[in-house]
Amino acid sequence: MTLVFSLAIAALFAVGAFLMLRRDLIRLIAGMIMIGNAANLFIMASALRRGRAAVLPGNGDEMADPLVQALVLTAIVISFATAAMALVIVYRVYTSHYSMDLTELSAAEEEQSERDEPESGDLVEQDIEEDIEEMPDDAKVGVLA
Amino acid sequence: MNAAMMLLVISFAAPLLVLVAGTINARLVPHVAVLATALAAVVVGWSFWQPDAAIRWTWAEVYGLHFELRLDGLARLYALLAIGIGFLVVAYASRYMELHLHHGDRPASDHIRFFFFLLLFMAAMVGLVMAQDLILIFVFWDLTAIASFFLIGFDQHEEDSRSSAMMALVVTGVTAVLVLVGAMLLHHDYGTWSLPAIIEQGGIQDSAPWALLLIAIGALAKSAQVPLHFWLPRAMAAPTPVSAYLHSAAMVAAGVFLIGRFYPLMQQVDWLLDVFLVIGFASMLVGGILALTRNVLKQVLAYSTISQYGYVVFMFGMGGDYGIKGASFYVLAHAIVKSALFLTAGAVTEATGKKTLADIGGLRQTMPMLALGSGMAAAGLVALPLTIGFFKDELFFARAAQLGAPYMVMAVAGAALTFAYIFRFWTHIFLGREISPSQPISTWLVWPVVVLGLLTVLGGIWPAPFTHIAEAAASVSTNSPQKLHVEYVIAPIVENLMAISTWVFGFGIYWTRRRWWRVALGIAHLGEQLGPAHWYYRGLNGLNHLSDSIHSFEVRDLRSRVASILLPAGILVGLAVLVTPNANSFEIGPIQQSDFTLVIMLIAAVVSGLVVMTLRDHLRLAIGLSSVGYSLAGVYAFMSAPNVTLVAIVVETILSMFLIGMMVLMPRTILRFETEADSDRRSISRDAVIATVAGLLVFFVSWGALSRTSWNTEIIDSQTVLTPAVHGKNIVTVILADFRGFDTMGEITVITITLIGIISLLRSGRLR
Repeated sequence: MTLVFSLAIAALFAVGAFLMLRRDLIRLIAGMIMIGNAANLFIMASALRRGRAAVLPGNGDEMADPLVQALVLTAIVISFATAAMALVIVYRVYTSHYSMDLTELSAAEEEQSERDEPESGDLVEQDIEEDIEEMPDDAKVGVLA
Repeated sequence: MNAAMMLLVISFAAPLLVLVAGTINARLVPHVAVLATALAAVVVGWSFWQPDAAIRWTWAEVYGLHFELRLDGLARLYALLAIGIGFLVVAYASRYMELHLHHGDRPASDHIRFFFFLLLFMAAMVGLVMAQDLILIFVFWDLTAIASFFLIGFDQHEEDSRSSAMMALVVTGVTAVLVLVGAMLLHHDYGTWSLPAIIEQGGIQDSAPWALLLIAIGALAKSAQVPLHFWLPRAMAAPTPVSAYLHSAAMVAAGVFLIGRFYPLMQQVDWLLDVFLVIGFASMLVGGILALTRNVLKQVLAYSTISQYGYVVFMFGMGGDYGIKGASFYVLAHAIVKSALFLTAGAVTEATGKKTLADIGGLRQTMPMLALGSGMAAAGLVALPLTIGFFKDELFFARAAQLGAPYMVMAVAGAALTFAYIFRFWTHIFLGREISPSQPISTWLVWPVVVLGLLTVLGGIWPAPFTHIAEAAASVSTNSPQKLHVEYVIAPIVENLMAISTWVFGFGIYWTRRRWWRVALGIAHLGEQLGPAHWYYRGLNGLNHLSDSIHSFEVRDLRSRVASILLPAGILVGLAVLVTPNANSFEIGPIQQSDFTLVIMLIAAVVSGLVVMTLRDHLRLAIGLSSVGYSLAGVYAFMSAPNVTLVAIVVETILSMFLIGMMVLMPRTILRFETEADSDRRSISRDAVIATVAGLLVFFVSWGALSRTSWNTEIIDSQTVLTPAVHGKNIVTVILADFRGFDTMGEITVITITLIGIISLLRSGRLR
């Protein structure tokens, strides 16, 4: 089973990585969710033993490892929270730029940073999501193609 | 407290004392430094009457590491150099640095930095020469490199200083890593980190020659041997006391010390000795010829140091009893005379304000004591009788004569060059007519030179104490007891004939200097254009460009950032999997009949994942995502995790609804546009390659990790036992709510904050 689990984890991760490399912001978030799934599956697969559900009283059969289950519960909820948050931020990006295309967004960002301080390209280095919230309105006109 | 302990404590206490004194008053610092090094010098002198002493503390037992130090003959020799010359240099610096800082208009607090790093360097040297554990040797070795970086770059406001310090750090620091690799290989072969234990096991095992070669490269770079010599002349940007100390008695000596330390092993590898011969001779020639062409005082001495350590490496290459005893004696003699000459250069520059030979002359009238002291030292370096230097060359010639005519020619050639440039150096400064006027200087800049000069002559008249030190060191290097006895033999023996021919040739080279001047300059020029320093700069620039271009790719946008993490990580892990021996570290794991359903659900999850990749519109994307999530919930169900299954289904449902709800808010045109923008064939195949590499990385990492889960189930058992005690039946919920209650609290907090964030982001409406 070790091999089967690793193959499944790797496949889910690869799909997630592929989606994260797309230009579309929604696919990027889908990639995040997918990689989260792969991580959760990995934690579950690292159980020290498998068996019946970890509920007392037992009938003498071996019980599944309860610790990894508790860890995965936490992980699932947290990854859900981050995914939801990211989705809402994407929505905000859309409302201010009318676009969810990463290429267009970075072009807009570069334009903006050139307008602000011609010498410095530092703004490019910051995360898009963080930046866009702070953009003044007049900068966004150029994006609307 | 034994002698080794005393030495270690006193030398590491000294830099700390300087810091303490600095907090009281920066002007106290030089005095404290002089006192501390004087005390250390007394201790090191006292240690010569003490038996060999050792310290052995457990350090990291799991890895078999010990804090193992031993004060043996070799350690005594180099500790004496580090502390004895260190004391004289610190005494000299106590006055010199005051002037130096005064000239540069710098605050007195800079004293603290200078003396702290100088004494830290001394302490690192003392630790290095006594260390017996391979890792400990590396630690002290690196500590010397770090301290020297700060010392060479002491005048940090000057660009030249900074780049010189960086060059010294790169050359000696990168090669220090080779020493570490060599140490690892030795540990792999011999199964211990303790150098004496390795030597005791005897024999040279499979990869040991390569390990020794790596260590030798580190040592040769530190000793500024060709082709890694170019950092030393640049390091002359440091204040003179630093050059006098690091580049005559300490840092460069550390290199040949390391060879001496590993010599019991190295002497068993014949080709390694040939490497020493070639590099030693090349350094003798290159250093000698370039020293002849230099005009700046300290540059002459820097190239001279390269050439002199070339002698020592050459002697290690020739091997034999005379070779090793000669090498140890040579290091001792050279450190005394060379530090005296460096200090002379500093004093002369301080008095006249000039730095080049052409601007200085006829100083014998105004500075007779300095002329005398440095004259004795210069006589020592060119091996005139009645100086310690005579014997250093005698031993060198004796070994060369044993090996035959080619070696004799090489030895005489190297020594004649030394004679020529040192003759030129001393006569230009002190003889002839006065060129620039000189001011009187503090006696503290003169008496250390005189003391060193007197030592040089003392060694020529009464060599016994010096030979005792050298023979004890050689006994450690050859791992067998050695006796060294030198005396004047007034007879036409071959050593004497070689010495005389050296003086004749040396003087001849000096006398005919106008004829070959241009040739030598041409060689120097060629070296600058095509030499290793040129490649160092090219390499550094190339690395800079590479790093810049990777950086600019990485920060271009989010996708290139993701790619530049996934791709290198995948490639590196793949290489590691290929290279490391991993038999039995991957297991397939048993598949039972009852696992059938589990496998089906896993396949469902993977297939829906693959389908998600191909989907073009967003609604199906959302549905595909949720089908992956539900399949995984099924996987969890068949893994007997009811709690996880329930939560996964709830979360997946909410997330799908959320995704679809988001799409309602966005116009169709935007969504369709996004899907079409991405269907460029080239970018798809590129991303697929990156994703495959990343998937392979995760596959090997997770397979390796899952094959080696712990077998210790104590925690599970104790949680099973404790669950009834907290009035629970479901162990998972008890863990969440009770055993790891704080975790769950934090998690709830995160969810709450996210919820508030989501609501406020959705409510605030459009920005325009």
